[in-house]
Amino acid sequence: MADLAARPALLRTARSRLRLRPGQAGVVTAGLVLVVAVVGSLLAPLVWPLDQSAVALDQTRSAPSWAHLAGTDDLGRDVAHRAVYGLRVSLLVGAVAALVATVLGGVVGGIAGTLGGRVDRILMRVVDTIAAMPHLLLGIFIVAMLRPSLGAVIASVGLTHWLSTARIVRSELLSLRTRPFVDAAINGGAGRRRVLVRHLLPHVLPRLALATTLMIPHAVWHETALSFLGLGLPPHLASLGNMINDGQGSLLTGAWWASLAPGAVIVVVTLAIAVLAARWRDRLDPRVRAELHL
Amino acid sequence: MTTTERLTAPTPGRRAVRRPLLAVDGLGVQFRLRDTRMHAVTDLNLTVRAGELLAVVGESGCGKSVLAHALLGLLPGNATVTGHAVLHHPDADPVDLVTCGQRHLARRVRGRRVGLVPQSPATALNPVRTGRRLLTETLRAHGRRREDGDQLAVDVGLDPADLDRYPHELSGGMAQRLVTALALAPDPSLLIADEPTTGLDRPLVDHTLDLLRRRCDEGSAVVLITHDLAAAQRVADTVAVMYASRIVEHRDADQLFTAPTHPYAAALLDALPDRAFRPVPGDPPMLTALPAGCAFAPRCPRRTDICASQPPPTAVTGGAVACHHPITTGAVT
Amino acid sequence: MTSSPHLLADDVTVGYGRQVVLDGVTLRVDRGETVGLRGPSGCGKSTLVRVLALLHRPDHGRVSIDGTPVDGVRYAVPVGLRTRVAVLFQSPRAAADPRLSLDDLIAEPLRAVRTPEPTIRERVAELTDLVGLTPDLRARRPHAVSDGQLQRACLARALVHRPDYLLCDEATAMLDASTQAHVAAVIRDYQRTQHAGVLVITHDEILLNRWADRVVGLADAARTHT
Repeated sequence: MADLAARPALLRTARSRLRLRPGQAGVVTAGLVLVVAVVGSLLAPLVWPLDQSAVALDQTRSAPSWAHLAGTDDLGRDVAHRAVYGLRVSLLVGAVAALVATVLGGVVGGIAGTLGGRVDRILMRVVDTIAAMPHLLLGIFIVAMLRPSLGAVIASVGLTHWLSTARIVRSELLSLRTRPFVDAAINGGAGRRRVLVRHLLPHVLPRLALATTLMIPHAVWHETALSFLGLGLPPHLASLGNMINDGQGSLLTGAWWASLAPGAVIVVVTLAIAVLAARWRDRLDPRVRAELHL
Repeated sequence: MTTTERLTAPTPGRRAVRRPLLAVDGLGVQFRLRDTRMHAVTDLNLTVRAGELLAVVGESGCGKSVLAHALLGLLPGNATVTGHAVLHHPDADPVDLVTCGQRHLARRVRGRRVGLVPQSPATALNPVRTGRRLLTETLRAHGRRREDGDQLAVDVGLDPADLDRYPHELSGGMAQRLVTALALAPDPSLLIADEPTTGLDRPLVDHTLDLLRRRCDEGSAVVLITHDLAAAQRVADTVAVMYASRIVEHRDADQLFTAPTHPYAAALLDALPDRAFRPVPGDPPMLTALPAGCAFAPRCPRRTDICASQPPPTAVTGGAVACHHPITTGAVT
Repeated sequence: MTSSPHLLADDVTVGYGRQVVLDGVTLRVDRGETVGLRGPSGCGKSTLVRVLALLHRPDHGRVSIDGTPVDGVRYAVPVGLRTRVAVLFQSPRAAADPRLSLDDLIAEPLRAVRTPEPTIRERVAELTDLVGLTPDLRARRPHAVSDGQLQRACLARALVHRPDYLLCDEATAMLDASTQAHVAAVIRDYQRTQHAGVLVITHDEILLNRWADRVVGLADAARTHT
């Protein structure tokens, strides 16, 4: 309580410390995990092809061993092998869905933020209305309408996750609009489009890109949830959600490993993305950045 | 007549008997940047006595704010502090602010024995509490009555009714006065005010300066960091002129304002609108690339060959100036 | 009334919500003169600057440039008219796009009106010379220069279209004495050589008396309407 005035400075100190010293190890680890995950899932079909529908009923539910690093499931399929392919699907769905959400949110937020006034009020009420619905339920509804498929899952995730992006872009634009440097640009002769393209968007785009990155883990979890509920990808396809769902049955018979590997992959990969995104956010924050130059 | 008229004449005799409150000896601050080092404070010596108002003046980026943050241990993690800054107290052991560690600074020094009026009040106030709540909390923590809050508000020129507002409902000037009140609440023996008059108009600037002056007259010490020379002239007992991370001259305010001896101090005073209104030619050097000799030499009318190669002597309070060719009264330039 | 070219705020009233900030203010700045405006903080001086710079629509009254009344504000004002009144803002940090180098900052208004690059380079070099920015400084972004250096770049930007009128809104309040004297010297020189009209707003009486040809209080300005 004593040094109220000093407190923000202390916070800043702590934050700079984090950024300059230990954080490095975590960031490097996260980077390595992500590189392995992406390269692994890209190269998997070349180096370790998988027959999605193949089963081996003679070796069901075998515990982890050298032959099957993460064991096998109730149909005798190698859990580690399928987890690699599951990750491949999850990353694809996550990235594409996040991109869909970003474009949608960016356009809606951009229109609301640049035009303002009545357009802004109407668009934001639409956003509020959609945000008031449980988004998993909405996602299920969308999948049900489109029939379960890769495209339906992407649409379901993308169409339910753009709201926060729209809000970020809108509020960023509205606050930028009143900054004196925008006044200075108008005073210097810049037109509406030039102010938008040269002075507003360049400030919004990095934040938008960051929002996309932070959304990928969300999208991955969402895909998993849909698949777990049986509404995601066709059941024979290896996706992390399908695998956890399949593993449920095995879990009751003591074969804990069938769900463990896909679950662990989700946690580790999404954590890695989140760590890298947080680091990036710190770098973007102008106050933190200015700290270095004092 | 003018606003720069002195409120109280410094009485050297009075200060001479006062004990030193803060003794800074060979203080240095360096920042590690991506590919270089920045020397923000270099070989700095200062003595501040109880009852003294010291103004630290200089161009923006000369390191004066860093000095304030260094004394309070509020520098970011890429900073290295060397030297000593000993804080004396009649009822407690002296503390070296550089070596005593964050824990001691936080529990015993900051906001108790040394107060800070920060430069940007907007970021220093908790946005979800009213001014009154912030002030009462601070007063209670220091065993003072909550009723003192209204008096403090009046002291800093704030209507006590405005204490019930949240920080976002305050103008920049009101927020500035609130953080000043918060810094004064624990009644610190040393107050460091980092540009405390930013965003205030003239009457409020004068009000704030007079408040700082009164504290000194009551026996506390104030280090006023400012770019406003008129403010320094109005209230300071002594003035330290900082240039490119060093103090170049530190002496009694009336001496400095009438007969500066460092060429930079003289040039800076000449820039005032009630004097020659003539800028100091050129730009200050980057703190990441300080020259080997005198940092002011490239802009100095009195420079000779020695200035480029030999660093000038270290400035001493009330004595030597950091210059090979100081201006002596009656000397021919 | 003489008919010399002038910038005029004629009986301007502005309110935010229920609060009236400017009430029937009339202020005239002739070309070739420096007018000083004083008044307590929060009395609407900055709003008056925004009105004169055609950035804020007054609730009542209008602005005219050299006798031609201007309708509309911001983007609605023809570029040729907009660029005749330039502004130097109080905080150079807020008034400079943090992503642009000082060179690009100064060149931006010229690029906005599609000036050929060689002309831009020439004009920027000329202006940076005028305000004393070295090539090393010109390549840096705002975060890597001091407030004083950045305000000098903002001054160069304000002069880039050779405006007939320059409005300085507490433009030297955050600056040290040396930079203040430098900025004032450059503006005074520009005002004389280009026969421009300058409005200086500051709470510093000494500076105002030293700098301006005549000083008006905002309260007086409000009373002088006919």
